[in-house]
Amino acid sequence: MRPLLSGLVNGFAEIWGHKLRSLLTISCVMLGVASLVVTTGFMEGFFDNWETSLQEQGGIEKISSLAQGVKERQAPFAAVSPGLTPADALALAALAPQIAVISPEIEASRPKLSRGARTYDRRRGARVQGVTNAIFEINRFEVASGRMFSDLDMHDHADVIIIGTRVRDALFAPGEEALGALIDVNDRPFRVIGVLRNYERFWGTYNTLDSKNEVAFVPLTTMAAKIQRSDRLSFLNMKAADVTRLRETVDTASNVLAQTHRGIIDFDVRTSEEQLASYASTKAGFVIGGGAIAGISLLVSGIGIMNLMLASINERVREIGIRKAIGATPLDIFSQFVAEAVTLSLLGGLVGVALAVVAIQGLAAVIPPGSAPVLAPSAFVVGFVFSVTSGVLAGIYPAAKAAKLDPIEALRYE
Amino acid sequence: MALGDEVLRMERVGKRYPMGDTVVDALVDASFVLSEGEAVAILGPSGSGKSTLMHLLGFLDSPSSGEILFEGRPVAALTERQRARVRAEKIGFVFQAFNLLPRLTVRANVALPLAYLGHPPPDAEARVDRALALVGMSNRAHHKPGELSGGQRQRVAIARALVNEPRILLADEPTGNLDTKTAAAILELFQELNRQGRTIVVVTHSPEIAGHFRRQLHVLDGRVAEKGAAS
Repeated sequence: MRPLLSGLVNGFAEIWGHKLRSLLTISCVMLGVASLVVTTGFMEGFFDNWETSLQEQGGIEKISSLAQGVKERQAPFAAVSPGLTPADALALAALAPQIAVISPEIEASRPKLSRGARTYDRRRGARVQGVTNAIFEINRFEVASGRMFSDLDMHDHADVIIIGTRVRDALFAPGEEALGALIDVNDRPFRVIGVLRNYERFWGTYNTLDSKNEVAFVPLTTMAAKIQRSDRLSFLNMKAADVTRLRETVDTASNVLAQTHRGIIDFDVRTSEEQLASYASTKAGFVIGGGAIAGISLLVSGIGIMNLMLASINERVREIGIRKAIGATPLDIFSQFVAEAVTLSLLGGLVGVALAVVAIQGLAAVIPPGSAPVLAPSAFVVGFVFSVTSGVLAGIYPAAKAAKLDPIEALRYE
Repeated sequence: MALGDEVLRMERVGKRYPMGDTVVDALVDASFVLSEGEAVAILGPSGSGKSTLMHLLGFLDSPSSGEILFEGRPVAALTERQRARVRAEKIGFVFQAFNLLPRLTVRANVALPLAYLGHPPPDAEARVDRALALVGMSNRAHHKPGELSGGQRQRVAIARALVNEPRILLADEPTGNLDTKTAAAILELFQELNRQGRTIVVVTHSPEIAGHFRRQLHVLDGRVAEKGAAS
């Protein structure tokens, strides 16, 4: 500890003694660390965002079934299949115990949401869906005020609606009570029985979860009978009871649906696995790319430090001789120069991290979409480890060279 | 003054250097004993081998033949690390060019050898004070070497050599860079230190300086002879 400390003190003295040269070297480390921390910040931000959106879409246990065109050889018989209907949901509930939750959903085509003179901006496209209460569990929605649908609502094809906060904000004045009020879907009045929680995850000024606020739910039966006038499902989402048996669950669901569709494969059953796989592989790619960038920066700042140390040692041959003559062991000399290199790189690292903090805050303010970097604690660890490592690695060779100097030669050196 | 125990013994020590195609004998069959409390001048013209002798006495170099014993133990048996420790603890070096570290203060320069002891002494500060007082430089402790005169620098260098209370003080042309008056003062300091019982070896090319020391070893063409001895 003691030689290390005196080495650091010495290091500062040397840095002070060669201000410009040290400044240039420190800049190398500083830029390396700063770019590394900012890059890590970008990656963290990007993957954090992606991960959250994966989760908000239902996570890994979600299985989706949706209509798709039949294969050519089945085309002549396609009409024998009733398509995805609420009956499929009933069949799955009865025959596939591996499925914990089943959510049949009908999406209104071109819905018009209005209340008096206020209209929901159609270009923004609110989704109006006929659903059961299962949607709240599967797509992770929460009713913040009011209630969910009752069995009676379902049975009676009740004209009730649960709306997201964007829809509420568009159709109601600020502070106006939405619960109990009437709004029109395609000019048919619906009573608001619930308002969903507001979903927010901000990237600068951009809310990446805003699409969860741009929805309105009516009972599935109401949608089929009064808005869409068809019981064809847009989606049939399921949640597996046991994630570890996802494959088996998917197979069972496919079999049941093949049965109800009379052998016509006009549906597709898929999981989030593909998304997860692409998430994982992209992340792996980024880590490798980031690692390569880190490695190159490490190399560059290492070269800078080594260059400075070699120059410094050439200038201080005599000092090394003196130190050896008055009793320094080769190890003492070695530690002194490694400590000096570490001092340099540590200083560069600290300034670099500080610079990165400023840069990240600056970028986060300027870059709006979900691609701004975040200040990740891991970035600081990376920056610190990075600078110390490059200091030690770059210091070893010059320090070993110094430790090996012949004291007589060194003393004779002018 | 009665001489004490044997500190260092040279037994037929030789040193050869390869120089181009030939081999130079810098030192041939040097044999002598240094005892506690002695003041010795090693006298010889430049190129005579006295610097080689000096380096061997300070373990900075190893002999090609023969044996050096320090406190009765062969130096050749020590590792480089152990030799450095012995240098730190028992040998003080004074150089012609002072060899202070310009970036450190006088005080830090004097304290430097203490950092290389296995365990720093608890009275390190007091030792530095004592060493500075001994050479009369207490009032310059916080100056940098560049702010001092040659004589003052050499006094600081001597304080640095003394701070570990070494058994031998080795001085290589300690007055070579000083004017006559300052040189005389430095020599007087050496004699005072010797009167206090310190073992001192001074290497010089000047018979006049050597004349200040009770014992003189003459070096010529690599051969060492005791002055006054039949040779």
